[in-house]
Amino acid sequence: MLVGFHAPELVRVTRPGHFAMVVPPSGEVAATALGIYEAHGERASILFFEVGKRTRELGTLRIGDKFDVMAPLGNGFTIGGARDVAIVAGGVGIASVLLPAQAARSAGARVRLFYGARTSGLLVERERFAYEGCEVLVATDDGSDGHHGYVTDLLANASDKPDLILACGPTPMLRAVARVASERDVPAQLSLEETFACGVGGCWGCVVPLLRSSAQAPSFPPAELQGSDVVYARICKEGPVFWAHELRW
Amino acid sequence: MVDLSVTIGKLKLPYPTFTGSGCYGSGEEFAPFVDLARIGAVVLKSVTRLPRLGNPTPRLVHTPAGMLNAIGLQNPGIEWYLDHDVRKFAERPCAVVGSVAGFSVDDYAYTCEKLAARDEIAAIELNISCPNVAHEGETFACDPNLTAKVVRAARATTDKTLIVKLSPNVTDIASIAREAESAGADALAVINTVRGMAIDVETWKPRLGNVTGGLSGPAIRPIAVLAVYEVARAVTIPIVGQGGIETTTDALEFFLAGASAISIGTGNFTDPRVPMRIVDELEAYLEKRNIPRLQNIIGKANVGFANPYQFEGDEG
Repeated sequence: MLVGFHAPELVRVTRPGHFAMVVPPSGEVAATALGIYEAHGERASILFFEVGKRTRELGTLRIGDKFDVMAPLGNGFTIGGARDVAIVAGGVGIASVLLPAQAARSAGARVRLFYGARTSGLLVERERFAYEGCEVLVATDDGSDGHHGYVTDLLANASDKPDLILACGPTPMLRAVARVASERDVPAQLSLEETFACGVGGCWGCVVPLLRSSAQAPSFPPAELQGSDVVYARICKEGPVFWAHELRW
Repeated sequence: MVDLSVTIGKLKLPYPTFTGSGCYGSGEEFAPFVDLARIGAVVLKSVTRLPRLGNPTPRLVHTPAGMLNAIGLQNPGIEWYLDHDVRKFAERPCAVVGSVAGFSVDDYAYTCEKLAARDEIAAIELNISCPNVAHEGETFACDPNLTAKVVRAARATTDKTLIVKLSPNVTDIASIAREAESAGADALAVINTVRGMAIDVETWKPRLGNVTGGLSGPAIRPIAVLAVYEVARAVTIPIVGQGGIETTTDALEFFLAGASAISIGTGNFTDPRVPMRIVDELEAYLEKRNIPRLQNIIGKANVGFANPYQFEGDEG
């Protein structure tokens, strides 16, 4: 479901890869972290599948309803000077990659979207990416559309080597993206999924282990303190986007 | 205008609302979204004598009407904390309460003394009830003698207000509360999380990296209300009630059960404006009933009626 909302102040400060904590209209404990799908003019939007209690509840929103979001949060993607960008999205990960796709297109880069889902009916919004000037390549687990298999197979076999990979999706897919990126020697930024509590860096519940030797994000414990080779970064605060080579996977 | 102010030991607060340790960072994290000046006090994440990396991930799992956490007291240790973090707390527009955890009586005393000596810290919460770190299988707050020892040792290091946070994972919380009071506690925080566990039936693995965790949220609210009620009848020092508070109605339950103040933890994860909203709505609640001071309703739960339906000779 795509929910657009009027939030001009939010649009002004939102960058690609930012997320929102959406306060559930009633009942459930803890807000829901959702990628910001669109942010243009006075309108932002969130895109989600109604699969859990919170998202089903959000799915009952009707035109004119009000709801609360705490946003924008997180660090976001960095396009830099990349000329050929591969965006890899799995499932609902598609919700976090339209803004970076638009940013890369605006900067004049070629953008290929590698988009995977369980089945063809779950491949949403692909026309939108085509409209934005992206080349869209799809894969489904059941072979109902595009490549029968993993989206990362498409990435591994793509003829032209991209100079930057951006990815958002389930952790097994991100691990595979990191592997392909390493094999093809392409820098990759991965937007991680995790259960959040606070969403703003206050509780240290959503940490991810990074390699101390390659960590670029601020991490715990601080460098001056002796510790293990593993350091922790908060996915909600220092992330959700990390370089693939930072992660201790 | 009604009076919501509360005095906890030497700590005088304009509002009876704390934010739970580990749930609101140091306040700074939420500052872009809320007015911190409308909070009574922010309780900081616990600090220990030595740095701790914390527990392996996953550290959080949502459960019905609540969540389990097992962060594992991740913190940089007291020395680093004093040199780098504490200075920033002076900028907060509300009181800042430091939280101290440890693994021995000596640990607590050492860390408490160092932290309490800092002007930025208005009071100390003694976290003797974290369920997510091992101390020979139990926490200090599960043993009346250990509770007395650790509170006495911490008390000797500072004149600042000492709030002792109790565990619900005990048979008789009132007896532990009495020990903490006689050992010199100025107030009691009731309750910490309830121990819990969740298992993924696909992988057969525990859903927390630490295997077990602490349950919080509305799921534990009735447990917390009862604990406050029982502790309030056992001690004379003030109680900071906590456990699943999300609304003003929830907060009022705790005040009526005997809490002089309340603390919001997991409720902030649903909406970080919960502490401010409760303050606004408490004012309205009291004004409507012509009650001038919040402290007038503390412990006023009306439980004084006899059960009229008893068999003759039944002493129950």
